[in-house]
Amino acid sequence: MTAAKHPILRAEGIEKSFHRGIPPWRSRIEVLKGASLEVNRGELVGLVGENGSGKSTLMKVIVGLLERDTGAVELDGKLGYCPQIPLLWEKLTVAEHFELFARAYALDPAAARRASTDLLGELQFERYRDYRIEDLSGGTRQKLNLALALMHSPDLLLLDEPYSGFDWETYLRFWEMSEKRRDAGMGILIVSHFLSERERLDRIYELRDGRCVEA
Amino acid sequence: MSAIAISGADFLREHLRARLTLILLVAIPALFVIASASVLGEFAAALGGSVAGDSASALGAGWAAAFLAGALGFFQVSSSREADRRLALAGMGATRVAVARIGASVVLGALVSAVAFLTLLLSAGIAHPAHTFAAILIFALTYIGIGTLVGSFVNGALEGSLTVAFIFLIDAFSGPGMSGSGGIAQLMPTRKAADVLIDAGAGMGSPIGDWIAVGLIILGALGLAAAAFWLSARPRSA
Repeated sequence: MTAAKHPILRAEGIEKSFHRGIPPWRSRIEVLKGASLEVNRGELVGLVGENGSGKSTLMKVIVGLLERDTGAVELDGKLGYCPQIPLLWEKLTVAEHFELFARAYALDPAAARRASTDLLGELQFERYRDYRIEDLSGGTRQKLNLALALMHSPDLLLLDEPYSGFDWETYLRFWEMSEKRRDAGMGILIVSHFLSERERLDRIYELRDGRCVEA
Repeated sequence: MSAIAISGADFLREHLRARLTLILLVAIPALFVIASASVLGEFAAALGGSVAGDSASALGAGWAAAFLAGALGFFQVSSSREADRRLALAGMGATRVAVARIGASVVLGALVSAVAFLTLLLSAGIAHPAHTFAAILIFALTYIGIGTLVGSFVNGALEGSLTVAFIFLIDAFSGPGMSGSGGIAQLMPTRKAADVLIDAGAGMGSPIGDWIAVGLIILGALGLAAAAFWLSARPRSA
């Protein structure tokens, strides 16, 4: 699909390095060396690259979990972020997570109830609503991880390998959900590994030697 | 309910739903107050101190509250750092997450203090209950500051727990009535609280200067805890 060009995310010249070790053996590892990318409304964009190429680092810089050394990030609208590893509280239930994030997103109670019910149904994990996270399988945790990123209907969705742990049916449903939201105008940036997924994506950036190259 | 109140209640729930935490909440005060108080006098004498009897039992309750609060403070920061950061990013903000964490920590501190106080009340009796409870709470709040500070620098559960335990041991064994009163003992965070607690255990009041000092220490400890929670919830530079 070709989206009308209406940038919702623009990242320009992002540089990020990490320090490792203790002085005087301290070393600096440059991960991002001027990475730039753009995501438009109604566009499903892939971010690919080898292990350790900096895909997750770039995602974290864009959402604000990591501070960048240099460069600029421009966002236009509400942001949803699904991290690679589910960041959840082990002793809280699925319902309590929805409530907590509804407050963070400043959703009113009716909208929060509607969003959680819809997402529990769409991802088919309603029966786990009152389960604690420690009692959930990896796949169900990942469903909640994704649902929390979606519950406020963001304008831009950043997904960092969101389907690890999904079974085949859930994996297909995930793509259906993403395409439906893309068609409704959401901009989506997804870290992807599989060649078979390329045909589902509108554009692909490859992160190579710290820079994004449109593939 | 506000976002802060809901998050604070959830953060509290996160700890109170851990069965081992609940067991330790009862077992540690019992160990410190009942089991160790009888030998504490001999131990203090061996170290050059003089604490004994009801004062030793009262001091044991303070230590129990301090140890539990320090460990809980550490895990409040270290166990959910990334999830807290995600919540802050979702719109809650680092400041509101930190306030909710502080609220949960203070409630946990009051809870461990109440359990230690009740254990003391049931096992040894208390001559000066209001002063005793206040002093035990001061121990707990001070160690919330220490535990969260350790949590903001140390990631691993084992390393962090050992660091909190190490600080606790130096503090406890160099405190008033134990190994002496000079040098490093003057700098220990619970020194003034221990003075108040020993006095209360012996049925005496404490000078106003001691209360002012412990008030300032609590403010400092809670300020440290707030900073530690805020730093944990905000974006990282590396």
